[in-house]
Amino acid sequence: MSIDTHVEHDANGHGGHDGGHHEPPEVVDGRQRMAIWLFISGDAITLSALLFTYLYLRGVNTGGHWMSMVGYPTVGPNGHSYAWYEAALNGSAGLPNPQVVMQAPLSAGLNWLVSILTLVSGLVVWAAEKGLRATKNAKTFSSLAWVATALVVVTMFFTLKQLHSIPAIFVAINDSQTMSYTAYASTMMVIIGSGLVHLAILAFLGVGLAIRSARGAITGDKWFQARLVRLFWVWVGISGIIASAVTTTINTIH
Amino acid sequence: MTTTLEHTAAVATEGGGLARKQNFLTALVGGVVFAWLAWYLAHHFLDASSRNYSDLVTTALTFGWIFGFWLGIGALNGPGRWLIGADHTRADDLYYAGENQGRKRYWKYCTDHKVVGVQYIVMTAVLLGAGGILAMAIRTELIVPGNHFVNQQVYNGFVAVHGMLMILALIVAVAGPWANFVVPIMCGARDMAFPRLNALSLWTLVGAAALLLSVLAVGSLTMGWVVLAPIADQAGVGMDFFAMAIIVFTVSTTVAGINTICTVMTMRTKGMSLARLPIFVWASMIAAALGLYAFPYFSLVEAQTLMDRTVSTSFFVANGGGTGWLQANLFWLMGHPEVYVILLPAVGALFEIASVMARKPVFSYRTAIAGMTGLAGLSILVWAHHMFTTGWAPTLGGPFMLTTELISIPTGLFFLVIIGTIWRGNIWMKLPTVWLFGFIFNFIIAGITGIYLSDIPIDNQFHGTVFVTAHFHYVFVGSVLFGAIAALAFWYPKVTGRFLDETMGRISFWLVFLGVQVTFLAMFVSGFKGMPRRYSSYSMIFEHANFVTTIGAYMIMSGMLVLLGAVVRSWNHGEPSGPNPWHANSLEWMVPTPPPLENFDVLPVITEDPYNYREELVRS
Repeated sequence: MSIDTHVEHDANGHGGHDGGHHEPPEVVDGRQRMAIWLFISGDAITLSALLFTYLYLRGVNTGGHWMSMVGYPTVGPNGHSYAWYEAALNGSAGLPNPQVVMQAPLSAGLNWLVSILTLVSGLVVWAAEKGLRATKNAKTFSSLAWVATALVVVTMFFTLKQLHSIPAIFVAINDSQTMSYTAYASTMMVIIGSGLVHLAILAFLGVGLAIRSARGAITGDKWFQARLVRLFWVWVGISGIIASAVTTTINTIH
Repeated sequence: MTTTLEHTAAVATEGGGLARKQNFLTALVGGVVFAWLAWYLAHHFLDASSRNYSDLVTTALTFGWIFGFWLGIGALNGPGRWLIGADHTRADDLYYAGENQGRKRYWKYCTDHKVVGVQYIVMTAVLLGAGGILAMAIRTELIVPGNHFVNQQVYNGFVAVHGMLMILALIVAVAGPWANFVVPIMCGARDMAFPRLNALSLWTLVGAAALLLSVLAVGSLTMGWVVLAPIADQAGVGMDFFAMAIIVFTVSTTVAGINTICTVMTMRTKGMSLARLPIFVWASMIAAALGLYAFPYFSLVEAQTLMDRTVSTSFFVANGGGTGWLQANLFWLMGHPEVYVILLPAVGALFEIASVMARKPVFSYRTAIAGMTGLAGLSILVWAHHMFTTGWAPTLGGPFMLTTELISIPTGLFFLVIIGTIWRGNIWMKLPTVWLFGFIFNFIIAGITGIYLSDIPIDNQFHGTVFVTAHFHYVFVGSVLFGAIAALAFWYPKVTGRFLDETMGRISFWLVFLGVQVTFLAMFVSGFKGMPRRYSSYSMIFEHANFVTTIGAYMIMSGMLVLLGAVVRSWNHGEPSGPNPWHANSLEWMVPTPPPLENFDVLPVITEDPYNYREELVRS
């Protein structure tokens, strides 16, 4: 390999650790943008695997148990959750025979609400970033970052409600009753759980954006990180829409 | 130029607070403390009568371990400081790069890619050592029929943990040390694109390996390294450790993959076009991209197993509408590409070695890239050949047989490139070349037996026998390990300034090479006769072949111990090598040995490809 180390004295300013080798922000930004896109690609594969799981289990519908299971519903004879469980703890002699318990799909409204709220929060970050680049006003950016974060926190609340609404069924395993979930409930739990993890990351990033812009680490001239966060944020919103579209339209077995 | 190993003297660094006192020891302390804390809280606040109680407590403990380990090593310092807008200063960056810290930096969250590369060498050795000890335990148990040393449950655990340890070891065996140590220099970069993420990938692997090794201490596994469901749902708490280890490991590979690709695509120096990239850089990048595709499946399937065990979901439980085939599909969607994540960096290193040692350009450079890309692409379309005999989607058997057999085309291109490169070359028969020839021999056997197994009628006969075991050990031991050792012998002088001891290296080669033939050819014989895999005892008709296999395994172990001795001895006492002992042209050989922090004083400008050997460079 022929090399020449004297012609160009680091004209591009490439470098990493050393004080003499500063890199221009646009060089660092280009690198970080590629990293974010690669990360989003990996996340998209995870989403596709989650949806594959969902569609596969619905497709095979093992034993007809996609949305049903032999056991007792979580709302027991006394009208409250865990009634069967408590009854079982006191001895199973008085329990009726287990029956096939059918479940209904989770609330589509709540599902869409979570997805749309996430996407809206992403659009707020996008607007904030555009505003920052246009007006150089970091204060407004910081405020909008807090708004987006607040939206994410509200979305997390609704996501927790979603998780809480996933119906359990008490089943008999090894002569004892325990709570279990159908394939539908299981796949919804992992999809919603994955969404919750993403929202937690967004909350972290949102707080970071707000604090950093307030402290001058993100300004009208240093807006690259805002764009990186926005790319991921909007992707999370889009992935939520995709997941909702699949799980609210393809759920019951006809 | 410096030509011998030098370590800068340790200099006390002022300021920086607690963050500058963090090292491997504080990571261990943090991991243990948080693991205990998580265990304590889970133990006291979870319902002890729950069927999932022990799994929930164990999972909490493993969460605590990895969080505490990250906190203790300093992995969370960067995100924490980003959050509050207190970015690292130049002094911080230099500190984390290990400037003036001597050998201490090898025990820290060091961001210098060369330090991370050396840490990966040690990590690979530890994983191979632990997996190797288990392999010897397995072979010792199998030397004669009947159970002698361990019971069946312990034996099953040995098989499972041996398998996964070796897989992890080989995933990082070439890509870990050398994609870190040499790839940035080969590209003409001062470091990896994201130095802190680089350290994160290494130390996350350490945390995951600790979890995996703990499996043996907490009740082990009984369902093989693929941890088949629904048996995995019913296994002891060792399964929780295993699943968490894999989830954490996936974080490590994802971060490392993104870092490698970004380094190659965005950090190349002027004139280093893609067409001038050393072939090893291509191999590392393609393997990284394939890993990015494959490992999310692995993470998800282990997360689902963990959920089945801790919150009673039904992913793999038929009563609730789940199925074990979901696990098999997700696992093998990862499992087959993973073979090539392991193989490609080793093949890339061997292309490099063949070119340098034969003083010829890589034969048909573009064909080599096409072969690696084609292999990566095809590898995501073959997963169901692992399930030919399970009854899953029999109508898809034909297409999957076809895609699997197509794999032999890009694989054949590898032979073409290597043979074409060394053909009529002025071959320098040094230690890396010896291992290269060993690879060629073994990889032929690995490839041909793979074609047999891709045919459904033959697979129906051999599936579940040790014939399959012998085949993939020819791939992993006979091919990948040989490639990894060749790479070690080749780049060792760049790390240490000294040659790997040639005599000990050759003794090691012959012991391992002959050991591989004795071990796995005998295993083919057992497989032909129908000996099942994963059994701790067997019929008398397999006795002789198993005896021979065990003798061969001991030969491999002896050879690896000799190699370990050579590595340790040569580190300080080997023959000095100078900065470019192989008279190679790629950039890593143009910098001093060991390379300084940031590699280049002035970034080079590249004007021709790295395989243009000129007369004055040809070995006399």
